[in-house]
Amino acid sequence: MEFWVHVLNTVLIFTMLGLSLNLVLGFSGLASMAHAAFFGLGAYSAALLSSRLGWPFPIDLAAAMLITAVAAAVAALPALRVRGEYVILLTLALQMLAYGLMLSWVELTGGRTGLPGIPRPVFFGWKLVTPLDFLPLTAISAALTFLVCQRIANSPYGRVLKALREDETATLALGKNVVGFRVSIFAVSGGLAAAAGALFAHYHAFINPFSFSLDQSIFLIAIVTLGGTGNLLGTVVGASLFVGIPELLRFLHLQQDIVAPFRNLIFGLMLVAFMRFRPQGIIPEYSGLGRKGRAAGSRVSPLGNLVRAGGKNLVAMGLSKRFGGIQAVKGVDLELHPGEVVALVGPNGAGKTTIFNLLTGFLKPDSGRVYLNGEDISALPAWQRARRGLVRTFQDVRIFQRMTVLDNVLVAIPEQCGESLFNLFFRPKRVATDEVEARLLALNYLEFVGLKAETNVLAESLSYGEQKLLALARAMAVGPAVVLLDEPTAGLDPQWVTRLLELVGRLRATGCAIGLVEHNLEVLRAVADRAYFLEAGQVVAAGRPDELIKDPRLSEIYFGL
Amino acid sequence: MNVELLAQLLVNGLISGSFYALVGLSWGLIFATTKIFHFSHAFTFAAAGYGFTLAATAGLPLPVSAGVAGLVGLGFGLTQERWLYRPLRRASASQLNIFLASLGFLFAGQSLLQIVFGPSARRLPGFTEIGVSLGPVAFTHLDAITLAEAAGLSVLTLTVLYKSRPGRAIRGVASNPELARAVGINDDAVFSLVFAIGSLLVGLASVPYVLRNAATPTMGIGPVLGGFIGVFLGGIGSYGGMLAGGLILGLAENLGGLFLPGSWQPVIAFVLLFLMLLTRPAGLFGQATR
Repeated sequence: MEFWVHVLNTVLIFTMLGLSLNLVLGFSGLASMAHAAFFGLGAYSAALLSSRLGWPFPIDLAAAMLITAVAAAVAALPALRVRGEYVILLTLALQMLAYGLMLSWVELTGGRTGLPGIPRPVFFGWKLVTPLDFLPLTAISAALTFLVCQRIANSPYGRVLKALREDETATLALGKNVVGFRVSIFAVSGGLAAAAGALFAHYHAFINPFSFSLDQSIFLIAIVTLGGTGNLLGTVVGASLFVGIPELLRFLHLQQDIVAPFRNLIFGLMLVAFMRFRPQGIIPEYSGLGRKGRAAGSRVSPLGNLVRAGGKNLVAMGLSKRFGGIQAVKGVDLELHPGEVVALVGPNGAGKTTIFNLLTGFLKPDSGRVYLNGEDISALPAWQRARRGLVRTFQDVRIFQRMTVLDNVLVAIPEQCGESLFNLFFRPKRVATDEVEARLLALNYLEFVGLKAETNVLAESLSYGEQKLLALARAMAVGPAVVLLDEPTAGLDPQWVTRLLELVGRLRATGCAIGLVEHNLEVLRAVADRAYFLEAGQVVAAGRPDELIKDPRLSEIYFGL
Repeated sequence: MNVELLAQLLVNGLISGSFYALVGLSWGLIFATTKIFHFSHAFTFAAAGYGFTLAATAGLPLPVSAGVAGLVGLGFGLTQERWLYRPLRRASASQLNIFLASLGFLFAGQSLLQIVFGPSARRLPGFTEIGVSLGPVAFTHLDAITLAEAAGLSVLTLTVLYKSRPGRAIRGVASNPELARAVGINDDAVFSLVFAIGSLLVGLASVPYVLRNAATPTMGIGPVLGGFIGVFLGGIGSYGGMLAGGLILGLAENLGGLFLPGSWQPVIAFVLLFLMLLTRPAGLFGQATR
């Protein structure tokens, strides 16, 4: 009996670890190699605080969580500012550092011998000693961890994490503070792993560094990945199968140092096989969703009060950008005013997309300034420009493939109450009402572009034309005062082009300033009020589209005639 | 300040730095071209180390055994490219999933080594290091071999990269894959080539490591982590920079010995990486790309 309860306790503690890792690995797409280190930091903190300083049980656990959350966030910070592989590298170095210190800082950690005699928790005079005594504690802790993770995963905050996982650049363009989200989820994940560590320490009354090695980190990654990244139930299943079964093997009185390498061999091979044949894991992130939507056919609806911000002026002065030996943009001045559609035209390589990148802050100009309604925004990062209503779409669409159509639009709605972790747990009522409003708003945008019938399918199952409409709906959901559309009609069938132009016209009618990069002269004539003609990074002409098209000098550049 | 100690630490730093530089170059070559975070490079290193140990224990002369190590490395590297990564690329797996598969392969490979050869260290019987004194500094002939091997192989690799046709193809794919494909360079062939070169190099690099330490199933993790850090310190954009990054790491770890006890070496590596990512994420010699 005691043995079975012990197995259950171990499974529950590893479930907590797996759930906390899934927040980072599954929902945010960041491969943390340091999860065993966070587990260990929690265990050692709780062990030392309770045995040396005599702190009582739940207090030392809370302190261990806090210490680890701060350490995780600070240590990973520089990598979280950049890209995926840096996160792997820095967390790997952190894991090796932590393990090395556990082994070598003998005065504090006891080195290889570890820390024995960690006090048993006492609740109102009841001392937890046997596995059965501990079971309520581990079960409640695991259940709480599950609820916390579920709350995070299904919230507006979790939606931003998924968007980040799918496409960081597009998430920045929606005005989200990417670094803030990554750092906070790392802190939460580290804190929850530390809670598991504190329980582990008290449960065994003894810890040594070997429970917190790189192998343990890899093992945790295997549990989460095989169970199903981005699915919390998957992690519960993964932990039950992959911790439970090997623990049960102890029943056969096999020696642990023989079982461990076989176990790791099998998990390693399973990881390889799953990545090849079933990368979504045992329980996939989206299991109950329809994938194939029917073609969007519903009528375009009136725009009503969808656009909240009025239009703004966007003025650029003297923008220049050099890539190595190529002067991509040279001394470009341009203006966009509320309620007008301004096109950038010119041959490939003329610098049109680069100008968009300079205006929206995705590239830093070598010289020149950008003003939004008179405010100098030249020094602002991309997400802060988006917050001020300067919104863009991308030539390569960049919708969030593995999110539903509705979530693609929902995530774009600015200043949602539930994007703050604090609100999520301490102001649930406000978050709930805010979410209802956001949903209505998002559905309106989807109705506006005619995608309301597809709300619950994954965006990756939409046709290319539908994806472009979705990208437009997403941009509108940010509440743009100026919107820059990068080749909105490229690669679309004529029916979709008509549809998109109609939408652009409606957007203009709301007072939004619209800039677009466009190759199709028909489209240009139909929708643009003014156009800038660019060649080799410079504006060579500006004026009404029909005037520009008639200019023989320009058609020579454009068509090479 | 103790000048003699400083000189000694500089020499030690140069020796361990040259080792990091070689391992880093062998991995960075693969990463720069394929963009695969090839973590199971650590397994290639360990497998080659065992290959060397077995060959030398069987009585083969050390240079021949070193050749065996190189070939074992090459074989495992090509196997991974062909049977692990290529099918994943074909299935357009994400970068993260390819990394996870690499991690799984490493985990499985290390366990297999442990099952076959046991968890304990395999030492080479009858190999003794001969000390050499040069003024105030002392080192062994193994140190000299480590340095000479790293320097020779690095120069050779750079020569291949910059002076030969296949080298130009490798650099072409690394800097602009679409353009390289457009001019008819075959991706798969180039990928196999960088895996071959990188794995051969790391196999040869395992030789002095095994002579100095011993072969263990997880022996690859430390050196490969050092190599990773060197590569990112130097910057992905420049092969010379990767080498310099490894040297800087080795020197910093050893010169840190002036102020900190030896067991704090991992702290130095981490802090160096941390500060670099904070201030210059593209690396010391890398350029921010478009």
